[in-house]
Amino acid sequence: MKMPRREFLRAGLLAAGGLTAGTVGADRLLGAGAKSSGPRAAATLALTADGELVVTPSAEYAALAQTSDEVRRGIPGRRWVMVFDLAACDGCGQCALACAKNHFIPTDREYLRIFKMQDSPDLAPYWFPRPCFHCDNPPCTRVCPVGATFKREDGIVLIDNERCIGCRFCMAACPYSVRVFNWSRPNDPPEAHTRGYSPEWGYPRRVGTVEKCDFCADMAREGKLPHCSSHCPMGAIWFGDENDDAVTNSAGKTVRLSKLLRDRAGFRYMEELGTKPRVFYLPAVNRQYPAPNEPGANHGNLPRGGETQSAQ
Amino acid sequence: MTQPIAGAAARPEASIVERDLLATLNPLGRAGHIWIASLVGVCLLALVAYIYQLASGLHVTAMRDYVSWGAYMTNFVFFIGISHAGTLISAILRITNAGWRRPITRMAEAITVLALMVGASMVVIDMGRPDRILYLLIHGRLQSPILWDLVSVTTYITGSFLYLYVAMIPDMPILARFARERGRSPRLVRLYEILSLGFRETPEHRRRLTRALGAMAVIIIPVAVSVHTVVSWVFGMTLRPGWHSTIFGPYFVIGAIFSGTAAIITAMAVFRRAYRLERYLLPEHFQRLATLLLALSLLYGYFTLSEYLTAWYGGFGSDSRLLALLAGSTAYGTSFWLWGVFGLFIPIGLLVMPSRRSLTAIVTASVLINIGMWIKRYLIIVPTLETPFIPAQAAGITPHYFPSLVECTITAGAFAAFLLLFTLFSRIFPILSVWETLEDADEAESKVAGERASRHSSLAPAGLTILLIAGALTSVVPWARASAQVQKPVPRIELTRSMVDSQDMLVAKVSANGRPVVHAVVEFSVTRTFGVMTLGQDTTRDDGTARVGFPVGLPGDARGELKFRVTIESPSDLIGPPVEVVLAGGAPRVAFIDNVPRALWSSRAPLPMVATIIFLLLCVWITYAFVVIQLIAMRRLKEHA
Ligand code: SF4
Ligand code: SF4
Repeated sequence: MKMPRREFLRAGLLAAGGLTAGTVGADRLLGAGAKSSGPRAAATLALTADGELVVTPSAEYAALAQTSDEVRRGIPGRRWVMVFDLAACDGCGQCALACAKNHFIPTDREYLRIFKMQDSPDLAPYWFPRPCFHCDNPPCTRVCPVGATFKREDGIVLIDNERCIGCRFCMAACPYSVRVFNWSRPNDPPEAHTRGYSPEWGYPRRVGTVEKCDFCADMAREGKLPHCSSHCPMGAIWFGDENDDAVTNSAGKTVRLSKLLRDRAGFRYMEELGTKPRVFYLPAVNRQYPAPNEPGANHGNLPRGGETQSAQ
Repeated sequence: MTQPIAGAAARPEASIVERDLLATLNPLGRAGHIWIASLVGVCLLALVAYIYQLASGLHVTAMRDYVSWGAYMTNFVFFIGISHAGTLISAILRITNAGWRRPITRMAEAITVLALMVGASMVVIDMGRPDRILYLLIHGRLQSPILWDLVSVTTYITGSFLYLYVAMIPDMPILARFARERGRSPRLVRLYEILSLGFRETPEHRRRLTRALGAMAVIIIPVAVSVHTVVSWVFGMTLRPGWHSTIFGPYFVIGAIFSGTAAIITAMAVFRRAYRLERYLLPEHFQRLATLLLALSLLYGYFTLSEYLTAWYGGFGSDSRLLALLAGSTAYGTSFWLWGVFGLFIPIGLLVMPSRRSLTAIVTASVLINIGMWIKRYLIIVPTLETPFIPAQAAGITPHYFPSLVECTITAGAFAAFLLLFTLFSRIFPILSVWETLEDADEAESKVAGERASRHSSLAPAGLTILLIAGALTSVVPWARASAQVQKPVPRIELTRSMVDSQDMLVAKVSANGRPVVHAVVEFSVTRTFGVMTLGQDTTRDDGTARVGFPVGLPGDARGELKFRVTIESPSDLIGPPVEVVLAGGAPRVAFIDNVPRALWSSRAPLPMVATIIFLLLCVWITYAFVVIQLIAMRRLKEHA
């Protein structure tokens, strides 16, 4: 249990209480603390709450950092939705892989997890990709004591890792086990540090805070599909704006959402919980690929695999 | 064998009482030193473990993404539970004026304050970012049960401190005298004097004290009940099998008094033995508490039965999976049934026959109950987290939890800290209330919506009567210029919305070189955020028009406009870039958040909730203020004297 001196100092700093960020750029402190409104000043050198020294090119930082208020409100007039076509999903796992790559997700977790579901032994198994449902009545957001997780006007539920106190109440409250936690100090690759932090992309990570699928809020801002949707080789992940009444998939096809849901008998997972998910599913009827367990079937979360939870 | 009820039989003389009860304050013996030293040792070890945890993150615990709460939360519920006994029992006994309470109350009140402090610190230890704890005040959201916890636990700690202190005031002059006689440090004497507020045995002092004590005893009961109810709601308010239960509030409150009573009996037994208090902590006291403990264990058993029997009988899929883990042939199942036998049935058996229960039996039952209740809390928290609605096994993951070394050390430290604090408390203040034991004074008596999602379904009828002609030929112009040189026929497309045979249609009129184009295939589409949505195809008629149904009800942009695209698919010499036309007639967009500015999930709490919480808090804090006023008045009396 020998601790490097740096670690020890850091711990001491934390233990002293209240002091989180020794900063070179004072804006960091403000950003992590009270409501920071207005654009953050261009920081060149900042010591993060995790004790890492981050050097950020000023121009880039200023250009990319949204103001907190903007991020909290979301994109006005939008209501993002996602539709998973279970009949088209063949469990290849490309969506989860693309998500992991673009969010620099460590291997012990997934934002988009593919489950192999079988509702009863008599029924056929099917693949069930599960992102965050960005519920319109989100149990996770209800219970957050500090408003670190919040629901935006455009429907997206995000987490402010600079405010989260790590109580993990939201993890317990999410009925779909969506949320994951930074149990250890993050080890983000250098690319994750190039654009500063925003709840819209959720990295660089903060130890002791919670994270999850963010519907690629930054991509939506640029008018681009989320990574999972654009990387699905089957075109099974539709994404769009409910206010457009249209969804688009990786094949570039755009269809009317209301018609799609009506014609294909769309449903939301566990509607009875009253969470009003913003993610719909189309039932796995007339599938054109081997069902799970059939010869030639995929393995769901192929390239990464989930870490088995185990005690230390 | 019948235990003699010794009651108020041979009451020893005042000086002897003082000598005996203040014996706890005498210098420690060898055993005492070893005891304290080992407790301090365990606490230091836990401190090291905590610093290690701070430095490395919660990864050093066994908690992971599925089981995200574990031993720390168990400790939290356990200690808050223990704390109940204290104040609740002492307050109830005081209000009902049960004479036998006298030697018990001080201990009970002390347990409350100390267990609360340890319990509350467990939450901080469980936090991923304890450095941000002040955010609870800066950004606190009243809708979160954690805020309810924060508020009610703070209120409870304040109240039980006050209660413990008020009940200790009459002991202070005695203590001051005692310390002076024994030649203790002047600072200690001074402390006792300050704390005594100049209390003397005058009717006026007595009246003030009775009033303050009466008010505290009454108000502390609802506060105590609220605290454990709110603790249960941290679980009960979630949508989780095994947690989302309507009886969780009372179930936890009963569980708290149950384990708290057992804790008091255990503490009484220890102090009785360690400080030779056999003359004051009589078998009668144990017997009375044992009867209470028996009633509580039956009650707890009843709650447990109704909680799990309904889940089992109802057989919801998720409940069944939880019960298979919790009570089936798993490690949890074994612990559950062992708890049932050793934590409930054997204690009941030991307590059930008043004529047969010896002190040893009572104390054994209490210790078993205490251990059992820690395990029971663990079994409430962990198995539920291992059985989420979407089984983790379906993604090849097996959630598993068993406390890590760090968690075990910190848990041991929590218990050590509790015992240490208790020991130190008993070194400074008498663990039995001297004045209450001395007197037969009478004690005073006294007494104690929802998301309005009024969606403005503003069904703005798609203005069928609107007939708009918009000739925004945006992309045609540059294209036309370029192609003019190639001598290609230049198609001209006009898009309108009109009623054709009383049907709402989108009509494109195609012409080239001034004449209508016949038999051209035209595709209609509309621009959406991430792509272009096809509406349909049609072939132009003799007048050069092609048409598809207008997408009625399709939302437009902020101004209610739709951006259509018309593309000619054939003949090939007419194919070119699409023509974009903006038409009105899009359905209005639905504002989202404005409809629910005070939902449970939004940033501000629903007003009825805010009002209720503020009202309840005011009731309690005004009572506290009343008590403090009595104390100030008491202090004034001294100055006048
Ligand atoms: S799916 Fe879970 S994390 Fe996502 S919004 Fe709903 S409750 Fe919150
Ligand atoms: S873990 Fe963070 S986001 Fe989740 S409830 Fe606690 S403070 Fe809010």
